[in-house]
Amino acid sequence: MGKCLTVNLSTKTLKTLDVDKELLLSFMGGRGLGVKLLWDLVPPSTKPFSEENILVFAVGPLTSTPIPTTGRFSIVSKSPLTGGIFYSSCGGFFGFKLKNVGFDYILVEGRSSTPIYLYIDDKNFELRDASHLWGKTTKETFKILEEDLGKDFSFVCIGPAGENLVRYACVMGGYGNFAGRGGLGAVMGFKRLKAIAVKGTGKPKIADEEGLAKALKNFRDRISWNPVLDKALAYYGTSALVNVINEHRILPTKNFQLNRFEDAENISGETLKEKIFVRRRSCYNCPVGCKRMTKTGSGREGEGPEFETLASLGSMLLIGDVEAVAEINYLCNDLGLDTISFGGTVACAMELSEKGLPDARVKWGDAETVKRLVVDTAYRRGLGRWLAEGSKIFSEKFGFAEASMNVKGLELPMYHPDGVFGQALAYATSNRGACHLNAYLISVEVLGYPYLMDRFSPVNKPSIVVYMQNLAAVMDSMVVCKFLGFEFDEETFANLLTLVTGKTFTQESLITIGERIWNLERVFNFKAGLGWETDRLPSRFKVPLQPMLKEYYRVRGWKPNGYPTKNKLKSLGLNVEDEC
Amino acid sequence: MKVPKEVYEELKDYCLRIARRGYVTAHGGNASIKSGNLMWITRHASSLENLKPEDVIQVSLEKPSSFDVLASLETIVHRQIYLETPNLAVLHAHPPISVALSFFMDEMIPIDTEGYYVLKKVPVVEGQPGSLELAKNVAIALKSYYAVIVRAHGVFAAAKYMDIAYQYLCMVEHSAEILWLTEVLKKSGLTLHKPKKF
Ligand code: SF4
Repeated sequence: MGKCLTVNLSTKTLKTLDVDKELLLSFMGGRGLGVKLLWDLVPPSTKPFSEENILVFAVGPLTSTPIPTTGRFSIVSKSPLTGGIFYSSCGGFFGFKLKNVGFDYILVEGRSSTPIYLYIDDKNFELRDASHLWGKTTKETFKILEEDLGKDFSFVCIGPAGENLVRYACVMGGYGNFAGRGGLGAVMGFKRLKAIAVKGTGKPKIADEEGLAKALKNFRDRISWNPVLDKALAYYGTSALVNVINEHRILPTKNFQLNRFEDAENISGETLKEKIFVRRRSCYNCPVGCKRMTKTGSGREGEGPEFETLASLGSMLLIGDVEAVAEINYLCNDLGLDTISFGGTVACAMELSEKGLPDARVKWGDAETVKRLVVDTAYRRGLGRWLAEGSKIFSEKFGFAEASMNVKGLELPMYHPDGVFGQALAYATSNRGACHLNAYLISVEVLGYPYLMDRFSPVNKPSIVVYMQNLAAVMDSMVVCKFLGFEFDEETFANLLTLVTGKTFTQESLITIGERIWNLERVFNFKAGLGWETDRLPSRFKVPLQPMLKEYYRVRGWKPNGYPTKNKLKSLGLNVEDEC
Repeated sequence: MKVPKEVYEELKDYCLRIARRGYVTAHGGNASIKSGNLMWITRHASSLENLKPEDVIQVSLEKPSSFDVLASLETIVHRQIYLETPNLAVLHAHPPISVALSFFMDEMIPIDTEGYYVLKKVPVVEGQPGSLELAKNVAIALKSYYAVIVRAHGVFAAAKYMDIAYQYLCMVEHSAEILWLTEVLKKSGLTLHKPKKF
């Protein structure tokens, strides 16, 4: 039996409740738990910006154990960017501290009339006034809270972008850690929840300490033998991918009009290391340490940029200058914007500007204007007012929807679909919109971990995508870092879960939990208006999507219209009454 | 990073040869060619039987590069060989008889004439695949010998020219096979007649 904290911001009531054991067994924790709560408590037609929408901050059964990368947590809500179900995993230390208080999740309901923050320690929890924090950047907010409460606390917070309901405002979960995508920061902003501070000093129980210690010896050895984890990510961080992805001609460039960036070397991992690298950083108990602290020639410093940001603010905008990209990244971090969606939306504006639309005045490669636009977007000023809506609404407003590179309203990550057919299918079918983290096919289509597939072939891709999506749903629910997927699969995780919880998990039972989560998300989305017609890619791409999609639905046990069959839902123990 | 056509053709040719000989499994083995301060090496998890241009990765010998992540897991061993020996081509495969014999000996001394005259001795070393320990053990052995067997794993053969590395690799397996067959025949009751002059 677990415990949770429910917080109603409208009535200012806080309660601790027991968490049903069955719920934890069926949905595990983290993302799965959040998805189930959203399904139970929020009608799919609910407006994301409404009192009825909820926010769930959830940890999992592996959180705060000695297993590497287990300081993470998941946030679940209905997204103001996609209008569908949304989950985001965040690194750092917040999850670790929350689990140490003894909570499996925090459920936030309602809306406060004034800015507030949630305070939690081992014994107390309360809502506190946050008027002095409102309007502050993420960095300033952290600093003030740290000064007020002490460094033992971990925080999540939003910046001005969240307060101003930018549809892709992120949640910052510690320096350099973000629940970046889908605008969950804007949901916090709507609820006027500026931050959560948590300090827990307890420790979760481990059923078989000795067995776990033995298993961890091998686990750590395998991390140290894996070239992606131990070498590439440790040495360069995710920026190692820039040159690799560019050479495969899948680096999105000029709003996906091109697949190779002439100036890639100038935003590469090598250049980052040489010019702006300061030091590595890690999340809780992580030997990989893929995070980067950097400092530019002008003396500005901050976190990142990660690969996705180097591309979304670099090649996508034709900015071939690592220092400029880093500075735009720092601004996005401080103001609380998702760099992928911001980059994708500005790239869309640049394309429209090139086509002569007078209101979108921003030229390719113009880093100084982009810096100004970060601020304008966060405060919804001038053109920023429209950029704050995301590329889909932005492009539709200016009458050129084809320039928005999105799936279900979420801007595409930085792998050009035309050169990685499996990843393309994963984008089209992801429940949260175009996303690489729901099934990272780059691992098998480019990097060769754990095997190498022909990236231009659709054969077997639907089955692999289904498997990876299910596995990703479980990893987000345990909660562990997706990068572990370069070395470990459900066999290892089932063993670790058994040792930690004392309950028997098998490879099959884990994948079934993942499938259950995926199907429930799918049903929610259908009922929220995101049906099969949203399983698509922008017309710019030339991927043979339709045959793969057909096969994908069949492998999933769904009807030809992409909705789970009654039998499928029943076999997963999901009680969904009406049909679609 | 486009691989020069002739480098690709050479690697493709010899990779196919070792695959056809059954020295590697579907996605096993690797091969490289040195060129100045870099090497061209087969990609991690590529199929040597069906090597494509994209499966040949350029890797620096002097400093790490972001492309290392694509290269064979044994890149560290190839790099160490090039750094410590004057060789210009390296082949790594898993020929079954050499691997089987490695469980029973610390060095293989060929008893067939050709193997004995050319290889003299083939040391057996140990080390985790892709580890620095293995890289050092292999490179040290290849300073004095043409080929080395990694216990329970496979053979590294190095030379100035790919065709010669290939010859050494084949010789190791051939000598291992002769050794094995003679042991089998001895056990079946036949008397061993060693050549008078060797
Ligand atoms: S690999 Fe990187 S993102 Fe994942 S837990 Fe470690 S430091 Fe955090």
